[in-house]
This record gives sequence, structure tokens and C-alpha cells, in this order.
Amino acid sequence: MRTEIRFLLNGQSRRVTGIAPHTMLLDWLRSQGLTAVKEGCAEGDCGACSVLIGMPAADGRSLTWLAVNSCILMLPQVDGCAVVTAEGLVGADGMPHPAQTALADTHGTQCGFCSPGFAVALAALSRRPERDDETILDAVAGNLCRCTGYQPILQAARVLPVIEATSEEAVMAAALCADCAEPLDYGVDGRRFVAPHSLDDFLAALEEHPDAWILAGGTDLGLRVTKRHEEPACVLSLARIPELHEIRRGERDTVIGAAVSYADALEAVTTLAPSFGEMVRRIGAAQIRAMGTFGGNIGNASPIGDTLPPLIALGATVETVSRRGRRSIPMEDFIVGYRKTVLGAGEIIAAVRVPYPQPTTWVRVYKVARRIDQDISAVSAAFALDVEDGRVVGARVAYGGVADRPVRARDVEAALTGRAWSLETARAAAPAVRRSVSPIDDARGSAAYRTAVCVNLLERLWWETAGPAGVPSTLGALEEVA
Amino acid sequence: MTPDTTPSSVASRRVHVEAPHDSAVKHVTGEARYVDDMPEPKGCLHAHLVVSPWAHARLTTVDAQPALALSGVHAVVTAADIPGVNDIGPIVPGEPLLAEAVVEYVGHPIAAVAAETPALARRAASLVRVEGAPLPAVLDLRAAYESEHWLRKPVEMHRGTPETVLPTAPIVLTGELEVGGQDHFYLETQVALAIPQEDRDMVIHSATQHPTDVQHLVARLLGVPQHAVMVEVRRMGGGFGGKESQATLIAGIAAVLARRTGRPVKLRLDRDTDMIVTGKRHDFLLRWRVGVERDGRILAVDMDLAARCGWSVDLSPAVISRALSHADNAYFYPHVRLRGLACKTNTQSNTAFRGFGGPQGMIGAEAMMDQISRSLGLDPLEVRRLNFYAPGTDRDLTPYHQRVEHFRLPDMVERILASADYAARRKAVDAFNAASPVIRKGLALSPVKFGISFNKVELNQAGALVHVYTDGSIRLNHGGTEMGQGLFVKVAQVVAEVFSVPLDTIKVTATTTDKVPNTSATAASSGSDLNGMAAMAAAETIKGRLVGFAAEHFDVSADDVTFADGMVRAGNHAVTFAELIRMAYAARISLSSTGYYRTPKIHFDLATMRGHPFFYYALGVAVSEVAIDTLTGEWKALRTDILHDVGASLNPAIDRGQVEGGFIQGLGWLTLEELVWDKDGRLLTHAPSTYKIPTGRDLPLDFRVDLLADAPNEAPTVFRSKAVGEPPLMLAISVWLALRDAVASLAPVGYVPELHAPATPERILWAVMAARVATEAKDTANEHA
Repeated sequence: MRTEIRFLLNGQSRRVTGIAPHTMLLDWLRSQGLTAVKEGCAEGDCGACSVLIGMPAADGRSLTWLAVNSCILMLPQVDGCAVVTAEGLVGADGMPHPAQTALADTHGTQCGFCSPGFAVALAALSRRPERDDETILDAVAGNLCRCTGYQPILQAARVLPVIEATSEEAVMAAALCADCAEPLDYGVDGRRFVAPHSLDDFLAALEEHPDAWILAGGTDLGLRVTKRHEEPACVLSLARIPELHEIRRGERDTVIGAAVSYADALEAVTTLAPSFGEMVRRIGAAQIRAMGTFGGNIGNASPIGDTLPPLIALGATVETVSRRGRRSIPMEDFIVGYRKTVLGAGEIIAAVRVPYPQPTTWVRVYKVARRIDQDISAVSAAFALDVEDGRVVGARVAYGGVADRPVRARDVEAALTGRAWSLETARAAAPAVRRSVSPIDDARGSAAYRTAVCVNLLERLWWETAGPAGVPSTLGALEEVA
Repeated sequence: MTPDTTPSSVASRRVHVEAPHDSAVKHVTGEARYVDDMPEPKGCLHAHLVVSPWAHARLTTVDAQPALALSGVHAVVTAADIPGVNDIGPIVPGEPLLAEAVVEYVGHPIAAVAAETPALARRAASLVRVEGAPLPAVLDLRAAYESEHWLRKPVEMHRGTPETVLPTAPIVLTGELEVGGQDHFYLETQVALAIPQEDRDMVIHSATQHPTDVQHLVARLLGVPQHAVMVEVRRMGGGFGGKESQATLIAGIAAVLARRTGRPVKLRLDRDTDMIVTGKRHDFLLRWRVGVERDGRILAVDMDLAARCGWSVDLSPAVISRALSHADNAYFYPHVRLRGLACKTNTQSNTAFRGFGGPQGMIGAEAMMDQISRSLGLDPLEVRRLNFYAPGTDRDLTPYHQRVEHFRLPDMVERILASADYAARRKAVDAFNAASPVIRKGLALSPVKFGISFNKVELNQAGALVHVYTDGSIRLNHGGTEMGQGLFVKVAQVVAEVFSVPLDTIKVTATTTDKVPNTSATAASSGSDLNGMAAMAAAETIKGRLVGFAAEHFDVSADDVTFADGMVRAGNHAVTFAELIRMAYAARISLSSTGYYRTPKIHFDLATMRGHPFFYYALGVAVSEVAIDTLTGEWKALRTDILHDVGASLNPAIDRGQVEGGFIQGLGWLTLEELVWDKDGRLLTHAPSTYKIPTGRDLPLDFRVDLLADAPNEAPTVFRSKAVGEPPLMLAISVWLALRDAVASLAPVGYVPELHAPATPERILWAVMAARVATEAKDTANEHA
């Protein structure tokens, strides 16, 4: 086992020991004098702390660059990666990175506090060949700017050249893989961070540390450190177990490994149901989707976990593993209370298995939030509807944000099934919707609003699936026309 | 001396050009240092606050012993430990730095800890044992207003005889509008680093828009003369008013702890603490009666403007004064009474925020316009035009008795109607709505007239200090602070223009209280107007000496000495600027000067709320189109056109950035951003996870911003430019009006939407449902008829 954290920082090899394992990358970088990396919120919502992470590809021959939030990334999470801050974007010749030049040239900075984070987000974008407005908006959605109104920043993104990988990166990737071939077992003053390389080793470590925090991407877990100021005795990372990173597309279903990030899952999910893909694209922002995982979203068991209603509606099953064996649990039965699951001691989520909907099934997933990007749903809903000859023959309906857990609304399903698929049917199901949800008032909306939206989303479903052609029924449809 | 306000020549212009922000490259590389980025001095301690968990309580115990018992904790201070006067009230006394017997909001600082690391300070703060006996709290603005729970006595702006005219008007409408508050959400949270010096002096690096206020109040807290405190600020990561008075709290606590421990102390608030502790934009409750003619012409207005001040006075009287003086926006009220009501609540002490009450007053005027036009079935645009001020007629007098001059708005409106293709789009929106049951569009135009100058006359002065060194390089100091608005580059452009030297000849430096004393806050959009003029005066003084020297040295008349493009010509002689400086030095000519400026013409009587408070008006107009989703209340900004008047812009790129950024910030205020407190007065929205400011995707799909061309300011401002910091924020009222327009499309003519601000998806959905209920009621009535 390896007891020091190894990574590249702005091209230099770094080996770290003696720093508490739950130290956030942001704090450590600033302690090293890399003050371009700023704390704006310490919860992954503003992007001022963004850094680039270069993860070696599975074959160890290249680096995949992602912008991530360093404020909620524990230092040992970058073990085996290349880390680049805004300082490191500047070339050895002192020339700023094209992303930096573009931002400065377009008057894309005012107070400048968010600017290094935007430079990082744009640097990540510069590695992508496609550059339409959607890609650009996605690339900067995780970075807040309070001064410019974004117009010049978006302009900088438009004029930014595409930057190819250098041959140096292959060398870096190979060196990182060689350096970090052994699993990390990092400890300071009795606190540990362990990143096993196999499921068996992980389960053994979990047996040894039954109270350990189980870390996948850490986009939610990190907040326990930065907001609740907890200090874990032991963190066990799922991130280095190859099996958990697999996406297996079978004939009848797709299996998504627990440690697959939202970003990596996007394509497979979009294939399952484009509407589900749209939902995943609205989870957090690029920085969050780079780290956050499917397994994490399920394991968190939050009532507002965005993947959960669609997984319920699609009839997904959660596959778990422990030293006692493997289990398959229907998604809708997996969560049994506020952030409570059926997972037993020593048991973890290995994957989620999602059956393909029938080609004729209408799958619609809705996220209703105040803001399009980087916002938490007030309400989410997912529908899988089978209609034959104008009559509903099957319906699976699930809501998020309406109870202590995501709920499958069987009453609503019953109210639809067997009836003609009409606006009247959608409206007539309102009492069933009201029976199915029991939301609360909070900062994101009142209980009354959430209920009203749940009712209205059935109507939305009708307009989208059976409404007259040429009548826009969503704002998105309007934008496509525009 | 009247400064030359004509630029030298087009070719060699330093002003009216798009010079980049002086720190742009440093911003993007991270080289630009903010207070928290400065290398920490040896022995630096870190502070953390102990705050009230109660909205209102009498403190019974504050026991620091458990915190002090931790190794590495150096001090815990409470009110009793303040060496001087425990008061940081910026306008009136009565605001203790640390609470004494009573706490008045959840978040009220009670004590502060200094320890060797931020984490240790946080832990120690959590160990300070605080006990209190809860007292009744007023948490709600409406409750405070209706129970007349005033923090200051009501103020009134009055003209004519609204009491008699209003009741006899052909039509009398009453209305009410809730206008939400707004957190500044500067990306850099509040921070200060206090470093003790010999002689009980204190140096403070503070993220403040008002270094002088920090200096003076820290001196009072420490019980030392003002000369013993030096405050420096190189830049802030955003301010927007939030670091005008409130920065004193942070710097004051750092200074008290530094004095107590004898070591440097840094206090940086984390985001949650910042939002929980510091004040925000005042939310307002507006109630009005307006008397109108049948054609929509206003006869008389009677409006109450009630502001949630929070627990203390802070800058609230000035905010309310500005709200009253903008409750007319661009419209003439023949008879008017405006009452400003400072409501006390047990919440954060609200403070300056871009617009400073102006937006809250202005939206009242626009809501009335909307109500009048919809109630009477008139075109909202026509009703606005009908009520515009008309200089040169008897319809030019504001409620504060200043005459409106140089009123470019009607002309600007005509221009934007053409450039935005308003008439055709109005028809297209109506046609779309007729055929679209789920998605509805709305379109609206709104003007902005914003008064420039601090309402408080004494604040309208500024100083500068310019040094020219013997190599010809220039160091520029002035009293303004840089928070991202581009003030430093603009003032440098002014000085470069005076000497006709390249912009990089000028070094802009940190703002420090020992170079320019007794400055005003960088606020009220006044930064360039005041400091630009002061710097110009300093530069002109030096230039005058140089001209005199050159004339004598080369034996030509002063008129024959000219500065152009880094060269100085005297008759047939030509030397570089640097050569002339070297010669002038040798001839013992002083190469340093202060400069001073005070705004002419202005006066205002706070007792009668009358006078001529504004040197001039900044103007703008916007047309916005939106679409709403009637099933969820979600919405999208489709297009916004802006035409904004910045006079002869000192720097069009910087000014455009202010217009765009201000507009988007206003859009956030009126739609996305919502402050929510629970029933015990705890702020629930204290981080970006719950408090949503706009992102890149919230821009209008089509966003067109124009600066009014060829429009030098009629008032003699610095190179005939206009202030730009605040006014564009209010252009976003057009978005809010467009949302109302979209809602109104669901109901018959005559219906006035019930949509307050912020128009969140939830509020939009309720407004939609109310409009539908009204329609159904009318339909039912028709069926029965």
C-alpha cells in the first residue's frame, strides 16, 4: 500500500504526507501560495475555486481534462491526477493561456475574483472541438459572476481556439499511472483515506472501518466537511475501482456502475431516454457532473436526488454488493425514509440496472427549479407512459421533492391507466396527484407550489405527447423555434 | 478653475477609448491579489464570530472560558473589551460593533475569537457559551409597517395639494407592491487584515468601498486619533454597496482583536456567515393611491414607501431618501405626497445596494404606470409617454422641487422603438399568445431616470494625489476604490489625457487613507465623476507648472506649449514628456500635486426634502420580451434591447460592462433572488445552493446593448461623461413588466396582474392562476348575463 498522495501540480510532481486527509484541495492549494484559487462558497456552487484535473485514461496514454470544484474535493482525491490552477495555465514563457487571453481581451473581467475560475472553465472547454452555444453555456454554468452579466465571458468562449493535447500529456499520464499503481492508504494522526483498487479490498476495508465515510465523487459528502465541519476518522473511496466505472449496455438494459460520473453517464442515459439525459445535464453544473456519481445520488437517498424519479419510472434496480453477496433491489423500494436506504452493514451500491423502455413508451422527465443551471429541483417528475389506440395501457409515475423520499405515485398511475389519453384525463388525475405527494415549505418553494406543479406536469405530459402540432408546450420548444 | 473638458485630439485620445481594465490580465492569471491572498504577516491570527441564535434576546451569559481553554486560542473579545467607543453607526450612533445587553437579530455578533488557524477559531467560537432570554421579535416588514414600528420618524416629500386633488380625480386607483430584497453576493466575502504598529497605530487592509469610514470608526473603537489608523484597499472582489458601511464591522472586529493580542488578525467571513451577518438591499412594501384622467394622465400620487431597515439605522435614512426621490422615475406628478417609512425588524441591518433605494422607488412608478394602462385599457407605452416630464413646460418639477433639464428620454424611447422593432413585435407577441395555450409571451418597455450625486451634499467632494517621477512615470492616487467597476483605469485615462501620455505611463495604486484623506465612499455611481475631476485637477496643476517652466525655458508664450502623444512642444522645440520632467526637476519645479473637486450647484434640505440634490440625470431605456410557462411558472428572457446614456463615455468597454452587468443584476433582483427567513428569523437562503443569482444561461437569448451616441453630458462633468454604476440595474424593471404582460395575456382587458417582486416561478404561477380565475369569473358572469 502507498502512504503518500502523488499527483502533478502545474506540471510539477508533488508527494504529500502529513496533511489531514479531509483537507480540501482548495485550502491546500492556497496554503501553497496558489491564491488564484478562491473560496466563494465552499459548497461547489460558485466555481471560483475551479481547477483543472487531468485524469489518466484507462489505457494510461492520455489525460482527460475536467474542471472541478476544489472547495469540495478532498486532497487525496487528486491522487494520480494532474492538477492545474489558473497560475499553471500560464505558459513557461509567461504567456497566458488562450482562455485567459480571450477573457481579458473581451473585457470578461470586472472585479476579477471569479476570473481564474472562469479561465479554468474555458480552458477545459478549449479541449473540446465542438463549440455551439449549448456547449458554451454548459461549460460556464458552474461559474458565477456577479459583475459582468456574462456577455463578454460567453464571447470569450466563442472566440477561444480549440487546443489539442500535447505529447507531453501522454508522458504525464504514463508517469502518473506508474507512480500510483499501488493503492493509496493515506493516514495522518489516526485519520485515514483509503482508495482500494478492487471491490474485494474495498469490502474488506469497510468491514474493518464500518463507520467510514464512503466516498464516490464527494460533491455532497464534501459539504459535511466544509459546511457541517465534521472530521471523518476514515474515508473509503470507490473512485479507483475499475468495475464501478463500467457502463455495460446489454440487450435489455444498461448497467451503470456506481462510480460513473454524471458526465460519463450522459451519453448512455440519453440513449435510454433523451428526456432523462436532459435531466442529467441539469444536475449541478459541469464541475459537479465531472465528479458526482450515479451511485452517490442513489446512496445519498435525498428526496431531491434528480436521478431517482426517472430511475423509478424506468423500473430500474439497484445492484448492491457485500461480503455476503449481491442483491438486486427495485429502485422504488431502495429508499425507505429521509436519506435512509435498505443497505445493510458492509453493503454498498455496485451499479444501477436500467431497462430500456419500449420504443413506443413515452418517457418524460421534468425538473422544475428557479434556475436552469446549477439549481436543486423544487419538484421533479418522471413519467413512463404507454398509450395504445389513444388509451393509456401502462403508466409509471414518480416525483421528487414532494416527500421525505422520492415517491412512486401508484394512485396517479391508476388514475391514468385504462383511460383515453386526453387533457381531461390528465386533469382528472389531479386528486390522485394530491394524494400522492406531501411536500413541505422551504426556501425553494411552498408546499402548495410543489403540489400545483405536480398536478400541472401531467398536463405538460399530455401537451408534449399528444398535444396539437405547432403549439409550443415548453420553453425549450420555444427556444428551438427561436 | 474650470477644467478643460475637451479631449486633446481624436488621434491621441486617452479618454473615450476602450482601454482594458488595468488588472484584466492579472485577474485571469490569478496574480491580482485580494486581501485574503496577501502573504500573511508573521504571527497572524484568524478570527471567527460568535453570533446570536435569537432574533431578539437579552443576553444573560457570555462565557469565553471554554474557548480560551483551547491551545492556540489567543483572545475572545466582547463589547466590554473594546478600548474606545463601541459604536460603528455610519450616520447616527447606536450601532454597537459587538452586542452589549441585547441582541437584535439572528447573526448579531456578540463576541469574536482569535486563534492560530481559521478552523481553530471556528471551533473555539462554537465553544463560547452564550445564554439569553428571548424577547418578542418583529420579523416581517408588513407587520412592522402596519404596527408603525419605526426605526426613525417618517419622512415626507410633498408638492402641490394631493390631499384635495386625489379624491376628486376622475379615476382613483389603489395598489400595493411587495419588492424583495437582495443579497450583494459579491464573490469575495467580507474580509479585513489588521496589523498593529508602534504607537498604538493600526494598519488595516480592508475590502471596503469606504476606507475613510473604516479608518474613522476603527479609531473610535480603539480610542485613538484618526491619524493613528491607516486603511488600504487595492481592490475588492465586488462590492455593490455591501462593503460601504458593513465593511466596518469586519475591519473593526479584526482591529479590536489585533489590539487585544498585539498580533495581526485576519477576519474573513465564510459565505454563510457573510450572508447571515451582513445587511442587504432593503425590501420595500409600496402602497399607493393615484388619481388619473381617463386618458391615463396622472393628476396626483400618494404613496407610502416602507422599507425593511432591519435592526439598526445603518444607511437607511439615505436609502429611503433616494427611494422617495426616484418614486417618480421619469414621470411628472402634478400633486404628490411620498412617505418614507423606516421599519424596524429583527433581521440583518439593510444597507447600500446598487441603486440605493432608487430601484425600489422606481419600480413603484412603473407598477403604477402598468396599473393605470391596464385598468383603463390603454397602451402602456402611450401612458408612459403622456406622463413623461416635459422640460420647458410646467410639467418639469420633481417631487423634491428640482427642475428636470436635458431630458433625453422621449427621444431615446423613439430610437429604441425603431431599433427594437417594437410595434411589429407587439403584434407578433399578441398573435403568438392568441394561439398558444401553455406558453405565453410578454413585451414591455421601461425607462430609467436616475439622479446623480449623493443626496447628502457634503459627500460630493473628492481628492487626488498625483506624483510625476523623474523618468516621466506617474503615480496616481485618489479616494475612489476599485471593486471591479473599472474606476482605476478610467481615472488613469483622465490623467493620461491631461498629460497626453500613453496610459501605461500611469500607475494606479491602492487606495489609502494616508494619501487622500476624508474621502467619501465609492458609491452613488459617483466614482469617476468625483475622483476623475479631482485627479484631473491635480494633473492640471502639475501641467500648469510644466507649461510655465517650458515657456520660460524655451522662451515662448505659454500658449505655444502643447502636450501631444508623449511629446511636449514649445514653439519650435520638442522634447519627450520624460525629458521635460527631468528638466523641470533640475529647475526645481514641484512634480507632485493634490487635486480637489466638489460638485457644483447641488443643495438639499433633509428636513423639507427639497432642493437640487442631483447634478444631472443618467438615463436609459429597455425593451424586454419574455415567455412564461403557465404550467410551472418558469420563464425565459427572449430578448432585451437597451439604449443607455453614459454621456461622452470615458471608456465605452467599461461602461458597456456596467450596463450589461447592472441589468443582469437587476434581473436577478426581480426574478431569481429571494431571501427567505424562517418563523424564528433565521435566514434560510445563506449560500448559493439556496440563493440563486443569475448564471450565463439566464441572459436574454438575444441581448442588444447600445450606448447613446454623440451625447456629451450637458453638465460639465469629467470629459462630459455620465455616471454609470447604478442606473442600468433598473433597466431590468422591463423584464418584470414583460412578465406581467405575459400574465395579463391570460385575462381580459382591464385586468391587472397580481405579480410582486421577485417574480419567481412560484409567484408567476400564482399570478397565472389568479388571472385564470378572474377570466373564468368574467366568463361565468357573461354566461349569466
